[in-house]
Amino acid sequence: MKLYDQLFYVVKRFKKLFSPGPVTNADVSGSITAEIFIIVSIVIASLLLRHVSVLLAGFVTLILAVVLITNIPLIPKFRIEQEDSLNKMLFYAIIALGFIVIFLYWGGNLV
Amino acid sequence: MNELIPLMVIVPMMAALLLSAFSKYDKLIRILAFVVAICLPIIPIVSNYGLHFFGGYEPMVDNVTNILYHPAITYSFDFMQQCFIAMIGLLTFLVVFIYLSKYKKVSGPYLFLLFMGTSAATALILTDDIFHMFVFFEILALAQVGIVAASSIEYSYEMALKYMILGAIGSPMMLLGIGFLLAMTGTVNVTDIVAILRGGLLNVTSPVFLLSLGLIFFGWLYASGLPPFHTIKSGIYSKAEPHAAALLQSFTVISMISIVIIMFRIYSSLPIFEVFIVLFSVIAMILGVSMALTQTDFRRMIGFLAVGELGFIGLGIGLGTQFALTAGLFQALNEIVITALLFIGFGAIVHSTNEVDTRKLGGLLAYHPKVGIMLLIGGLAMAGVPPLNGFQSKLMLVQASLSCGYPELSILTIMVSIATFVVFVKTFYSMFLRPKPHDLEVADKEVPKAMVFTMLILLIVIFALGLFPNVVTSGISNYVGGLLL
Repeated sequence: MKLYDQLFYVVKRFKKLFSPGPVTNADVSGSITAEIFIIVSIVIASLLLRHVSVLLAGFVTLILAVVLITNIPLIPKFRIEQEDSLNKMLFYAIIALGFIVIFLYWGGNLV
Repeated sequence: MNELIPLMVIVPMMAALLLSAFSKYDKLIRILAFVVAICLPIIPIVSNYGLHFFGGYEPMVDNVTNILYHPAITYSFDFMQQCFIAMIGLLTFLVVFIYLSKYKKVSGPYLFLLFMGTSAATALILTDDIFHMFVFFEILALAQVGIVAASSIEYSYEMALKYMILGAIGSPMMLLGIGFLLAMTGTVNVTDIVAILRGGLLNVTSPVFLLSLGLIFFGWLYASGLPPFHTIKSGIYSKAEPHAAALLQSFTVISMISIVIIMFRIYSSLPIFEVFIVLFSVIAMILGVSMALTQTDFRRMIGFLAVGELGFIGLGIGLGTQFALTAGLFQALNEIVITALLFIGFGAIVHSTNEVDTRKLGGLLAYHPKVGIMLLIGGLAMAGVPPLNGFQSKLMLVQASLSCGYPELSILTIMVSIATFVVFVKTFYSMFLRPKPHDLEVADKEVPKAMVFTMLILLIVIFALGLFPNVVTSGISNYVGGLLL
């Protein structure tokens, strides 16, 4: 029953996601699909780390799977981070620039 | 020297200036815009392949190093450029046709923006000069801002302003990167830079060279709307007029492939470059499609899907083999056509209902069956259903990632295609199949014939590319083969 309650809570959160306005079955189905899609795709993408180290890939995949599943619903959180707020857009732009420069400096010698 | 090559840029640019200058004379600018728009897809088709050196400055051989230098701004025109310029010309013609038939009085400055955008996108794909590329990248960004700001949709000004502010971060970073590259190589001609790198005259692992890659890469992310710029890119699509959004997405695709091809030529010796492209492409695919699944505004939904599709293009280019690059470029060509069809088709629905919320729509198949069927085919093409063009390019991408030893990417590609299919099934059901809500007022007016005509033309292209992909892929493959030499 605990799992059922958790899933029911997820659906209730989806209803809030679409407010104001009516919530249709198609909308909730879409959000549940997005939820499953995002978890599975991130886990599969993390498997790419096997090209760096098989052990690291296994470790990261397991941790990601646990973290993502225990944090459902993810879509409302993702949506909040990707709304049309200029502050958030600027924040992520700067983070991305920092990420690029750091990883280039670290990985640029791997020729 | 082929004099038709610069005309592909000069004709729309001159037209833009004249349309703006004579904006008071409605009939004159209508005729001028229509005639120039017809010429745009014709010029690249009749032009021969070759190079054009501005000012007539031919390449020179340095007697000491024996390296060939290009003192002039050089335009390079090959099969790949021909495909994309002809396609963007066709799309510009269709968009201008819709615009001219939609409004009784047309705006010269708005037409200026449309033609200037086309001119800048054409220059981007032709140029072999990295600074020239930056100049037209800036012109294109400003034209895009103007097109969005000029739309009559609520909050379009705000979205255009946000896009410009983010551009104020992306563009200077790219310029700085180009500056570093110029400082190290002493040239802005891409062929010359590549010759210097291949001649071993520059250390590719030097921090300044790596920083130039990072900064140009960041500017490319802004130009192509990959994360972290995916939100604003989908936002500007949703706030532009539907026909303008169709053109805007083609500008994005063209700027994405033009800049990445130049980066590929310069930086492909660094494995981290390809890793970055794949990484950001995968993030774009995941975020684009998952956000599209949760949208209720169908314009925004197409915007996010368009961003997700950009990830497919990046994936092909990031894998870096001849087959993968061909698949990526073929996907780019397909995306231009499919997304344009979807924006214009959904624009027809907005025209009829004045509603963009899928929750408030329904039963539209009874009112607009032709539009509904054409939109469905467009959606299936985007999802990669055979025998449409999206299927061919996505199948190539799956094969490419498998042959490169990345089955995870193949699985992701298939998953994203399935999720795209779900988005369309959901949206098509909500808008066309379920019973019409009582409070929905469908205006008793026909969808503009220009829109239906445009959709029909794009649909023919979709089927043609789906049934005969070799017409395009063999030529692109030859071009890519030359790129990888």
